[in-house]
Amino acid sequence: MHDTRNRALVDFVALPFLFLTVALLGGLRVDGESRAFVFLAPPLVTLLLAVLLMLLLVRGDLLRFQQWIRSDLSPLTNVAHSWMFITLFFASAQAFNSVLPERGLLHWLFSFFFLWTLWNNQFSSFDARRLLRSLAILFGTAFILKHMLLASLYSPEGGWLKRVAGTLLQGVTIGTLDAPSFAPATGYISFFTLTLYVVGLILLASAANGQTKIITHAIPASVVEDYRQVSTAERLTVREAILTEEPQSESRRDNT
Amino acid sequence: MQSKIIQLTGLGLSLVYGAFIIWIYATEPRTFKEVTTSAEIAAGTYQINQDHFNSAIALFRREQFRAARDEWQLADPAQADARTQFYIAYSFYREGWGRVYFDQNLFKQGLGAVNRAIALASASPLTVDDPDLHMHSAAELKAELEQGIELSWSDVNPFKVLRTRK
Repeated sequence: MHDTRNRALVDFVALPFLFLTVALLGGLRVDGESRAFVFLAPPLVTLLLAVLLMLLLVRGDLLRFQQWIRSDLSPLTNVAHSWMFITLFFASAQAFNSVLPERGLLHWLFSFFFLWTLWNNQFSSFDARRLLRSLAILFGTAFILKHMLLASLYSPEGGWLKRVAGTLLQGVTIGTLDAPSFAPATGYISFFTLTLYVVGLILLASAANGQTKIITHAIPASVVEDYRQVSTAERLTVREAILTEEPQSESRRDNT
Repeated sequence: MQSKIIQLTGLGLSLVYGAFIIWIYATEPRTFKEVTTSAEIAAGTYQINQDHFNSAIALFRREQFRAARDEWQLADPAQADARTQFYIAYSFYREGWGRVYFDQNLFKQGLGAVNRAIALASASPLTVDDPDLHMHSAAELKAELEQGIELSWSDVNPFKVLRTRK
């Protein structure tokens, strides 16, 4: 009873609110001089990255469209699940927006590396846990590069060595590495945003596991765990073996 | 049944939250104060600060136009009141008006303000009943500002020094 209610609270209240908060904060910066809010709508490239990430989440079994949107579920449940997927899409776009440099060559370099990583991952074997770890590291690395390394390099309050390095870097690249200076609060907001996003994905993974538990409650947990450890090709072999075994067991049941 | 209530509540609240986020990105407020002011405008409860407005009117009548504009900015920080924007435009007109030439920069700013006033009062033509003013409608003021910005042969007419400020 409590389990169903808690699950519903997470799926229909907590997750959309978490993802919408990420969508709100992902484009928020604080101006370095006036300390005013700057809201940056997600650039087009972040939408493309979000599409690739959604595909990856489907491949990693974190999103199960066929289980969450089904004809046997009520229309309201299907609408609520679809809405949750929409909020996840925009949260993903804004999470990328949060760690992408705002303009110049670095913006395109970061975008290219994100695209490259996500495209390569489309062809790797993933399960939910590995995918979560991989995404946390991907966003964590981008956060360190943008909000710690680059912010420190372009900070007007930095020491002379930093300023010389920043000026040299801009000179060598003929100004293409120019970056706007934001207040340190921007880094804190981005950290909070990414943490919320990863927490949302963890909750989503637990929701997906919850669905599996309902379906496979008769199967021992160790069998499910072993199944999760094997590769996609091996999983297919196991599934085929189970399906070919089924008619025999049914005929045996008929004989008894 | 309880699950259905949770679904409905979650969906309704998160849709409202989503609309709020779209509104935030559309209006781009720069401070928390601007967020509340924009919310007041959206809710139709926005009101100008009457004390600052009255103080600005007193300064305007003493021909201290810049100080008056500062007060009007404080009275209407969201630039959402048609009457205040009309007065701001009028102050630009009076300050920029000269017997020999008009200050183009001030007239352009005045034109911006009067356009804002007209846009804000789009439901009916904006008229201000102030006996101290010679132009009472926003359309009249706009035409005067536009004429001041345009270059024409009448600019070299020596008799133009006899014209009067409105």
